[in-house]
Amino acid sequence: MKNQANPWLTSNLWVLGLGMLPAAILIGALLYFTAWAFAFSFTDLALVGRKSVEWSWVGLQNFERLFTRRGFLESLWTTVIFVFFSAIVGQSVLGFLLAALLRGTQSSIRNVVEICIMLGWLLPDIVAAFLWSATTSQTGLINQLFIIPFGLKPINFINEYALPVVTIANIWKGTAWSYLLFSAALDSVSREVVEAAKVDGATGFQRIWLVMLPIIRPHIATNMLFITIWTFTYFPLIFAMTGGGPGTATQTLAVFLYNQSFSRGNLGFGSAISVAMLVIVGLLSLVYLRMLREPK
Amino acid sequence: MSDVSLRGVRKSYGSLEVVHGVDLDIKSGEFVVFVGPSGCGKSTLLRMIAGLEPISGGDISIGGRVVNDIPSPQRGIAMVFQSYALYPHMTVYDNMAFGLKLAKTPKAEIDQRVREAARILQIEDYLERMPKALSGGQRQRVAIGRAIVRNPKVFLFDEPLSNLDASLRAQTRIEIAKLHDTLDATMIYVTHDQVEAMTLADRIVVLNAGNIEQVGTPLELYRNPVNTFVAGFIASQRMNFLTVSPQGNGLALRAGRLLTLSHPRLAEVRTIGVRPEHLELASPEAAHFFGTLSVIEQFGEYALAYVELPGGELITIKLDGAPDLKLHDTIHIGVPPYAVHLFDAAGRALR
Repeated sequence: MKNQANPWLTSNLWVLGLGMLPAAILIGALLYFTAWAFAFSFTDLALVGRKSVEWSWVGLQNFERLFTRRGFLESLWTTVIFVFFSAIVGQSVLGFLLAALLRGTQSSIRNVVEICIMLGWLLPDIVAAFLWSATTSQTGLINQLFIIPFGLKPINFINEYALPVVTIANIWKGTAWSYLLFSAALDSVSREVVEAAKVDGATGFQRIWLVMLPIIRPHIATNMLFITIWTFTYFPLIFAMTGGGPGTATQTLAVFLYNQSFSRGNLGFGSAISVAMLVIVGLLSLVYLRMLREPK
Repeated sequence: MSDVSLRGVRKSYGSLEVVHGVDLDIKSGEFVVFVGPSGCGKSTLLRMIAGLEPISGGDISIGGRVVNDIPSPQRGIAMVFQSYALYPHMTVYDNMAFGLKLAKTPKAEIDQRVREAARILQIEDYLERMPKALSGGQRQRVAIGRAIVRNPKVFLFDEPLSNLDASLRAQTRIEIAKLHDTLDATMIYVTHDQVEAMTLADRIVVLNAGNIEQVGTPLELYRNPVNTFVAGFIASQRMNFLTVSPQGNGLALRAGRLLTLSHPRLAEVRTIGVRPEHLELASPEAAHFFGTLSVIEQFGEYALAYVELPGGELITIKLDGAPDLKLHDTIHIGVPPYAVHLFDAAGRALR
């Protein structure tokens, strides 16, 4: 490609360097924090007390603890379940189904449903957490409406089915994103292509499965990439609803990281957890990025 | 091969009716072209025949069977879309085989039919390519191939050439005409291009604002248009219309001589139409009217002269060869009586 930059600019290194400065600062800041977490994952730095100043290098000890002590692997498993059911199955599938069903319906119905979906998304995490806790508690709305009238014993859902409740809450909260993305993706599928499939004899399901889904495959991969990363590191809703409990039932990695770093004050170990999370999310991203590639 | 008949077919969106009761019989094996300006309802009519658009009233029959409530795949039709509508994620082969696969046709038969269609359309070399690796003309062939393999009784074409460039369009037009001859199928073809209509059609259906204006062979429409709309729409160069007033044994042009004519309903004539190719240059004494040459387009084999009359009307004359005319010259024009179309105040032709 031809270099189209101004020759005065390209011949003057000082000017070039000055122009690059904002970008360099930004990249530097990003690298600094990552490097900080990475560096301190090899130390026994603590939040308070003596070790907050007189920390020392401990080598790979923090990383060994990830696998030898209880906590990390359990949290990883909880996170995997939470991500799989709330993001991949819940938000993505539900978002797609809604987008596919609402396509071609009257705009008034579509508007109402869209507003309802968006409300979950727009509501602050803490408010949503309070609503869901209140609704699913022993004296909450679900018990009042569906359990007590049938003469059954009220169930404390948030306590007994903590992970499913948190998962459903996150589906409710996050489906809007997938819906919007899939909605836009489906709008980009040419109407005539879908009609051609109709004339070719494809049923409604076949039109979606054999024609529309393959066409929007890159959008699906993009969406998976986003929501997996977000959900993997998602913190406020779970923490506000359950604090990771009861016990460690809903302690995802983000909650585990918080508890270790700030409740127990083990910043070094917390850094090791964050590095591990970074590696896991990075690997997942690679898988999705491969999916994004155009088929040969 | 199958006949198609429409009986009082209507289409409305809410309270807005866009097709107002169309009656039409299309014979088996016929090539019928729906032509009209955009928004005339021609595509809607085609989509109703295809089963892509529910009809609001009337009956559509294909092969003697009313298909109002029969879904597209069972109507025995195949459609070629304006945007080609190829499946972007499938190879050319799979694009053509898709419908047959859905119908659970045996593999060997699918293969045989796809290869046969590819041979007819000369796309055998591209079977393993993806649509995006093809040119517009090649995509169009694949779209037609996809229609052929379904072995339909009726082919429906929705402006299939409008995305192609001019030379490819002319070439593909000839191929579609050949294809109709080879396949011996009923074809319904929608276009806004009257050249495609004239060259391809056994019969042309001229539509305007949701109504059929006239149905006839291309030459019938050219020679005997029933009204000013059809007269103005059919033929490459638009017909010239001149306001006239009946006087004794002829029609007086607004700025010109009396056009001597005899017709039983001469008194009702308000407008005459003359095609550009029928007007001729004349000597000042013999001319019916005159005007100033405002533009001349030389095509070599013929020329189009645009002449502004004293009343401000612009008329077109088609002249053979390369006439030696200069801009702003005064042009004297003669109107041969045999070439004059007469229209009444409502624009209806008087025969």
